[in-house]
Amino acid sequence: MVDFEVSDIDYEQYSNRQLAAIPLAILGLALVIIAAWYVMTGVPVDLGLAFTGGTEVRFTAGDDLSEVKDTFEGVEYDSIQSAAGGDTYILTTQAEDTEEIERTARQAGYDVEQVQERSASFGAESQQQALLGLAIAFLGMSALVFILFRTFIPSIAVVLSAFSDIMIPVALMNIFDIPLTLGTVAALLMLIGYSVDSDILLNNHVLRRRGDFYESAYRAMGTGVTMTLTSIAAMAVMTVVARLFGIPLLPEIGLILVFGLVADLMNTYMLNMSLLRYYKYEGVAK
Amino acid sequence: MNLRENWRILVLVILLVASALVLFVPSGSADGGNGSDGGQIAQDQGVTNLQFGLELSGGTRLRAQLVGLTAENVDITGDNQREVRQTVAAELNVSEIDVNARVESGTVEVYDDNVTEEEFADALTTAGIDASTDQIRAGVTSQTFDTAEGVLDRRINKGGLTGGGASTVQAATGEDFLVIEVPGANRTEVKDLIGEPGRVEIVAGYPAQTENGTEYRTETVLTQGDFTRIGPAQNPDQARPGVSVTLTQSAAEEFRTVMVENGFTEEGIGNCRWQQNPEDPGYCLYTVVDGERQDAASMSGGSDGLAPVLRDGEEWQNDPSFRITTANFSEAQEVKLNLESGALPTELDIQSELYLAPSLAQKFKPLALITGLVAWLVVSGVVFYRYREAKVAIPMLLTAGAEVFILLGFAAAVGLALDLSHIAGLIAVIGTGVDDLIIIADEILQRGEISTDRVFSNRFKKAFWVIGAAAATTIIAMSPLAVLSLGDLQGFAIVTIVGVLIGVLVTRPAYGDVLRNLLLDIDD
Repeated sequence: MVDFEVSDIDYEQYSNRQLAAIPLAILGLALVIIAAWYVMTGVPVDLGLAFTGGTEVRFTAGDDLSEVKDTFEGVEYDSIQSAAGGDTYILTTQAEDTEEIERTARQAGYDVEQVQERSASFGAESQQQALLGLAIAFLGMSALVFILFRTFIPSIAVVLSAFSDIMIPVALMNIFDIPLTLGTVAALLMLIGYSVDSDILLNNHVLRRRGDFYESAYRAMGTGVTMTLTSIAAMAVMTVVARLFGIPLLPEIGLILVFGLVADLMNTYMLNMSLLRYYKYEGVAK
Repeated sequence: MNLRENWRILVLVILLVASALVLFVPSGSADGGNGSDGGQIAQDQGVTNLQFGLELSGGTRLRAQLVGLTAENVDITGDNQREVRQTVAAELNVSEIDVNARVESGTVEVYDDNVTEEEFADALTTAGIDASTDQIRAGVTSQTFDTAEGVLDRRINKGGLTGGGASTVQAATGEDFLVIEVPGANRTEVKDLIGEPGRVEIVAGYPAQTENGTEYRTETVLTQGDFTRIGPAQNPDQARPGVSVTLTQSAAEEFRTVMVENGFTEEGIGNCRWQQNPEDPGYCLYTVVDGERQDAASMSGGSDGLAPVLRDGEEWQNDPSFRITTANFSEAQEVKLNLESGALPTELDIQSELYLAPSLAQKFKPLALITGLVAWLVVSGVVFYRYREAKVAIPMLLTAGAEVFILLGFAAAVGLALDLSHIAGLIAVIGTGVDDLIIIADEILQRGEISTDRVFSNRFKKAFWVIGAAAATTIIAMSPLAVLSLGDLQGFAIVTIVGVLIGVLVTRPAYGDVLRNLLLDIDD
């Protein structure tokens, strides 16, 4: 069996402090980015149409971007971007009335494929609900982890890695200019479910099995790394293929999951591992 | 193979067969349940019984609130109902049609967004009802929602846009809203049909002599509920376009009284000149839609006119039919549709709109399928690379496929209309599914031969603890979304939760049994 060569990492060379330092530093950086974004823009991450309200019109046109912009000269809009296949454009506006935009598009011979419109008040309400959903999901997961392991350090290790698995993608969303949409909220929630899998596996092997710490840990890693890499591969491919095809929703979900799962590899096998080792060798003895 | 030991495989096979039946056996009744099941669009899709939602079939979806204020826990009885309604309407300076007092629920509603809670409370106090602003909330009662839902359903289906419908959905905050879905139609078509309340009234306008000379009076004589029969829209050569209607007995009686007492059947005959002189229109019967005068008609005299019939009384009682006139034929058609479908009790406050061109949406269907397949192939590649053993890898991939198949069967069985969010959920299920299968395989394949069933079941139990814990966290993470009304995400969460349950309870344990059979066979 090929174990993706993970057993080559020699954990004994590094102290717990060294192991935990990198993931904690990256988590800190992520939190700084999110906080800075909050200070600059008033929101921790840019909000998409679903949460701000407004209108998005998607259409195909034979013209290039500057010609399309000329067409909408004099019409109130926020931005026009080209999407997917090149001849598809997405126009966004905060204006409530889109009749004029649609009429202009039709007159220019453009094919209106999709119109999405949300009132600002409904957007704000969705925003609250999404935040509430994320919070409940995270607290529920945390409670369950504590019930499963019934010891503080291993449980908090899982919760801390899961927290970091969500914060790192959120910070990356700011860097890569990905707005928070219903799709990305779904992906963040999915991360809560996905990311604890490998942590639970690791904790289970180390805490609930007989045998040497390193032996158990390596065995859990063999399985856990395979799991996460399989998921990363599937999500990366889904992101690329769905983007090529111009399918909405799926690329956003895929990309966030790739970010989160890569973060999870680091958090599980550095942060969680170091906390577990501390617990096993020092925490219990004290 | 012992049946008792392999019951998990048996259950899996039964579920697979059941899913195949649900998915592929044509059923005549498959296209009935639309509109009632959460506003989902049901469209039969040839090869399978799967139904596709708006995002995969194209059309328009609107989400809307009903405009109004409701006073709750107020003392409305059969005796004061009418009076409260009149007083509140007069106090707030709105039409009586915009105030509704309900005895059963003890509520008073105002269907107007310009009224504040304070004004409403004051108006109720004037009407002799003890009410404070605490009892008043934004929104309307669930009865009003039911009415609106029925009206919208009828209008969409009678207006030539088939397959769509409206449904009332409750948000987690307890607030109701309407979801209106119409496949294949664009927003303008849908909004033309449902955008206006469509309240048709017949108003009598006539001059009356008072001490200060002549003044004009108006009186609503007929409203939506006053008709027993609604005829076709007509466009005759020598008369105005219109719709023939038959009045209920009580409405007919009242109509006659107003007409006779105010001179319509005498000096008012043929004496309406609203079109020429709106300042001094004479005796007119106005066709009013949503508060706007669309047309005015004179009382017809002569031997075949309405005036002699009304004067006679008995003839009118036997056949109380009346013709609502309109300015043109298309208005006549609209009046007919509005009368038939009923009026929306209040205006719709549209909160979100989505239009997807059917050509684009239907393109997503095969593309999403291909995306899923490609993701599955990549997973296959990784799994083969890792295990290098067909006996482990092939059942693993087949099990993952079986999970999706059973989930699709579930979707077809409950009539879930698949949207992109559900596809994302399916992919999430494959993801957690393969994770779990890897855990099972690694646990069972760990060093040391699996010599006995006991060793096997011991290892299987250990693997299952992790899988169960992981599944529980996923379900907990998804459950708020399944309850919150975040639109698209609800479908995603439900599919993920059901998929994880099917996986943990059926398919993933069955994979363990398959592995045991394959591996123990070698040892024998």
